[in-house]
Amino acid sequence: MLEIKKIKKIYQMGKVKVEALKGVSFYIDKGEFVAIMGPSGSGKSTLMHIIGCLDQPTEGNFIIGGKDVSKLNDDRLAEIRNKSIGFVFQQFNLLSRTSILHNVEIPLIYAGQKSKQRRKLATQVLESVGLGDRVKHKPSEISGGEKQRAAIARALVNDPLIILADEPTGNLDTKTGEEIMKIFDKLHQQGHTVIMVTHEAEIAEHAQRIIHLRDGLIEKDEVKT
Amino acid sequence: MIFEIIKLAIDSLRANKLRTLLSMLGIIIGVGAVIAIVSIGSGAREQITAQISDLGSNVINILPGTSKGWGGSISASSVEVFTLELADYIEKASPSVKRVVPISQGSGLLIKGNFNIQTTIIGTNTDYQVLNNYNLAMGQFVNEGDLDTSRNIIVLGSGLAEELFGSNNPLGEKMKLSYQERDYLFTVIGVMEEKGKGLAGDLNEQAYIPITTFMKKLSNSRFVSYYMAQANSGDEASAAVGEIEYFLIKYLDDEEKEKFNLLSQDQILDTISSVTASLSLMLGGIAAISLLVGGIGIMNIMLVSVTERTREIGIRKALGAKNKNIMSQFLIEALSLSGMGGLVGIAFGWLGAYAIAQAGKWPLVITPISVLLAFGFAVIIGLFFGLYPAMKAAKMDPVEALRYE
Repeated sequence: MLEIKKIKKIYQMGKVKVEALKGVSFYIDKGEFVAIMGPSGSGKSTLMHIIGCLDQPTEGNFIIGGKDVSKLNDDRLAEIRNKSIGFVFQQFNLLSRTSILHNVEIPLIYAGQKSKQRRKLATQVLESVGLGDRVKHKPSEISGGEKQRAAIARALVNDPLIILADEPTGNLDTKTGEEIMKIFDKLHQQGHTVIMVTHEAEIAEHAQRIIHLRDGLIEKDEVKT
Repeated sequence: MIFEIIKLAIDSLRANKLRTLLSMLGIIIGVGAVIAIVSIGSGAREQITAQISDLGSNVINILPGTSKGWGGSISASSVEVFTLELADYIEKASPSVKRVVPISQGSGLLIKGNFNIQTTIIGTNTDYQVLNNYNLAMGQFVNEGDLDTSRNIIVLGSGLAEELFGSNNPLGEKMKLSYQERDYLFTVIGVMEEKGKGLAGDLNEQAYIPITTFMKKLSNSRFVSYYMAQANSGDEASAAVGEIEYFLIKYLDDEEKEKFNLLSQDQILDTISSVTASLSLMLGGIAAISLLVGGIGIMNIMLVSVTERTREIGIRKALGAKNKNIMSQFLIEALSLSGMGGLVGIAFGWLGAYAIAQAGKWPLVITPISVLLAFGFAVIIGLFFGLYPAMKAAKMDPVEALRYE
């Protein structure tokens, strides 16, 4: 389903080479709920960008849905992001000028869906995360928890292979954070593949498998039974 | 997809109404100015051309030459060349010329009761009316009998009659003409119809008397001011010019053409056309510069917009936007700016041209080509200056863009 093979990522910072990932390999199966943990500078953001097809590895291969994407061009990567990956960000990253409904429709626009179909799908997904009565609101008119639900709806709307969440509770209070995590638990139960980057152990506990990163290498890959 | 992107561009422009308006201003002014200037230029030219052909394209003015200053004396018009007889000689010697009308003119004061008006007094003969295609509103024009007996009769321009007599019938009324500090009594025998303003001034504000009266009583001179000659037809005008020139050079023994000057309507038209054309070109050029400045304004605002929306670009890319999607989003935004600016500019240019045409009393001439040209130029400018910001947006690295605060 998703395979990382000996991935290295080297940044050129002026004259200094920084090795953010020093050869990381793992395999994630369909339906898994995986947390990637590590202190800052461990390379977890870099790894997330590569899994999210926002960035490409310097060395090694990344295979998603049976396809090696490590050497694809910008446009092909955009297609993979559009069809196979659903992003949930710490900062929600909703477009503030338009309604929640339109925000959820964006991935469908780039997928070339017709307006009627888009509206139907986006409304359905928003209802499933409990935002059926908020579709016309702008992001500034709803709470942080609701924003993150909208973002989850946006991640789900294209029915992606994986849901990739980057510190999804980082900007929320504990109670709201728990509510959001319940949604992820539910998604996992429904059979979605969820990969979550976090530095909070408590949040990572929701996953069935935790990959610990340190200094660009996997320190521990624990599977809970 | 393209419809979505257009909607997106309009939405984003609507979100910043004031900024949108300000960045469109340059294009609005540029397009408006181009349309207004071209329209004013063609309107004015059309009016002048109409006036000149109203006079007949076959009319040639024969003017006294300008003598060169001798030593300390100032150069002056050599008026003492043209006599009444010479007019007849020219007419007889030039087969392409139908008639030559002598004209003496000067400034005089018309007095009626408590009113007086300083005006141009034209001394001429019967043919003047025919040559100028100038009809009477009432009464009659100077006739042969008046000329033979140098009668003190006067024909008024329509404006003069109105000012001096109001709604009263001026025919048969006596009035005083004061010319070079001497007073004469004249009887009004006719009023001319109203005529548009010509190059020579307002014909409606002139008065006409027999040329013999003018020469014997007013100016006391055997020379006239100038001649107006009429060729048989417009086609023969240039032949007529050649014949008159040939005859006058011989008759006046004036190889250098110092004593006379020929001015045909064609020449006047040419001069006016070239003057108005170069004026339009110059003003149009200034307007085009304003369009260019408008384009730079659009580029500036688009660059600001791209930087401001770096995060939006990152989000869109993360959600699957290809580089070309981002590129077209910003390019269409720039095109919408310049396109809308162009449309508003057309409206303003039209209004401006209309207002000025009303004020100048000339026809409103808006050529589709000037509208298309100005609008097309505005769109091209939007495309040109929008391209760089759009490319900058499209090339952004999604990771960097998402990190942007």
